[in-house]
Amino acid sequence: MKTLLSASALALITATATGTAAQAEGNLNLYVWADSINPELIATFSKEYDVKVNVDSYTSNEDLLTKLQAGSSGYDLSTPSQHFLRVMIDEGLIENYGANKLEAFNNIEEKWRNQWWDETQEYSIPIAYGTAGFAINSDLYKGPTDSMKVFFEPEGELFGKIAMLSYPDEVVGAAQLYLGVPFCSEDPDEMKRVLDLLMAQKPAVAAYSSDNIASRLGSGEVLSHFWWQGEVLKARKGGAPFAFAFPKEGLVGWIDSMVIPKGAPNQENAVKFIEFMSRPENATAQMNYYAYSSPMKVNAEDIIYTPENAPELFIEVPIEFSRTCSPAAQDLVNRVWTQLLQ
Amino acid sequence: MRRLANNLPFWGLLPAWALMGFALILPILIIAAVSVATRGSHGGFTWDFNPAGYAQILFNEGWSGELEFTPQYLIIIGRTFLLAGATTALCLIFALPVAWYISRQTPGMRAILVYLVTLPFWVSMILRVYAWMIILGKDGPLPRFLETFGLAPGTSFMFNDGATLVAMVYTCMPLMVLPIYASIEKLDLTLIEASHDLHGNRFTTFRRVILPLTAPGIVSGAILVFVPALGAVLEPVLMGGGKQMMMGSLIQLQFGGGRNWPFGAAIAMVLMGLVMLFLIVTALRAARRTAGMEARA
Repeated sequence: MKTLLSASALALITATATGTAAQAEGNLNLYVWADSINPELIATFSKEYDVKVNVDSYTSNEDLLTKLQAGSSGYDLSTPSQHFLRVMIDEGLIENYGANKLEAFNNIEEKWRNQWWDETQEYSIPIAYGTAGFAINSDLYKGPTDSMKVFFEPEGELFGKIAMLSYPDEVVGAAQLYLGVPFCSEDPDEMKRVLDLLMAQKPAVAAYSSDNIASRLGSGEVLSHFWWQGEVLKARKGGAPFAFAFPKEGLVGWIDSMVIPKGAPNQENAVKFIEFMSRPENATAQMNYYAYSSPMKVNAEDIIYTPENAPELFIEVPIEFSRTCSPAAQDLVNRVWTQLLQ
Repeated sequence: MRRLANNLPFWGLLPAWALMGFALILPILIIAAVSVATRGSHGGFTWDFNPAGYAQILFNEGWSGELEFTPQYLIIIGRTFLLAGATTALCLIFALPVAWYISRQTPGMRAILVYLVTLPFWVSMILRVYAWMIILGKDGPLPRFLETFGLAPGTSFMFNDGATLVAMVYTCMPLMVLPIYASIEKLDLTLIEASHDLHGNRFTTFRRVILPLTAPGIVSGAILVFVPALGAVLEPVLMGGGKQMMMGSLIQLQFGGGRNWPFGAAIAMVLMGLVMLFLIVTALRAARRTAGMEARA
């Protein structure tokens, strides 16, 4: 008993000691997409600036938005997609950290600067962009993938073997792209067509789920899964028999940017981290790890992906970026989703 | 000094009251307040009184643009109650014999068996559900086993209501077994002998002696299973494939993609109201039964 007591006392003292040491130069609390930041870069940053970095993660923009709206999240840096970034600026949920005056701004590729989601580029520095679409298990499915018709109106072997994500954001967007309905439509007739399409597809859908996708597709539980293209690339690099479909109707695009939530406790460290991640050599390491395209200047010769080994990152079909919907349009999306799953 | 001693129950209970007030009553009051607030345009809310969230449960703008009666939320509420009811009934059917068996063992064996019943609580719930996904899924142990009896290869038992129910019953079982076991353990065995002496057959003995005496355990077990089953999110999504919404996911949607916090809070209040109603009815019926038994005695 006595040994146990002194052991726990010792543990307590050690914990306190390390706790103080770590607070020497402060903390940085990241709230980012799951597995999105290269852990080696975090370790390097932590050592270089003597900052203790904590990483929390989310799996949907909605989760992030809700958390920031609830207030005082305690996070210093986050990575929303463009259509949510716009909402966060308009609702005053993120800090203006003068991004356009940072060294990082000069490292953004020209075509990604001052876009509609942050025209003045004061609130954000982009970190990655990609698309969402249909992945297939190429060992088990050999059929065509050149049109979304294959997945939205499936016949034969794909029937009952398709899984969609559990968020209306991506699923409704893809359906709109297929039908030629504009994103954020406020026309009930157009959105009724979206609902009709998804209702007709539902009997062929095994699950609406955003968890456990790799094993569901890998085991053959489903033959096709709605997914993000970088995840497909990462899994394929690990040996999984996956392929990403490039339908002629196009793909839904997103771009994530680094922002600082309003009232973040360690804003200076957050800015240091943004500058650090935006250095060309680090943006290169980040892209190689994350397996999504980088909107930053990178050292092209050090990028491990080529059109041959990573067709997922060299997309030739049109990419349509998600828009920020008006509340009326958002309500229609919500109505489609609720009636689909009622 | 004497005053303090007199007031000791009050001061002693103060921490418990404070905890209840801050951790239980205050959050419920906040939800109640949000449910009648005005929604923000991209989620969140403003403190302006607006009961629209409650109206929305029954009436919504239809595709023609007019306000009409929309049964979709009632359907979701009804389905949730059906699932919770089915879970409770199945748990009861399986838990009674288990509890009975445990109570008939030697004290040492009983302790071990009760320990085994509580063992699943040591593992995170999500892991336990994942385990069922593997067992029932394509090429999982169960389909593989049944293939030896002629089941078509590659069959999966996942993504349907049955799979949801299996996981629900599995996760809720201990909550039913333990209270029933506690009341069976206290059962006076001589009463069963007396029943047999009076020519009561097994069924009569079960119905007129065992069941009434273990009723308190059954009632608390049923409440412990039914109430959390109403709020289940994980099992319907992971096992059922999320193809049909339950109240838990419906509420979650309003705070996420739906961006309608007051509506989400309103559904939560309705769910809580229905649970309270269920508990009050159960309590009243239990009280009446006890009173009836005392009168007969």
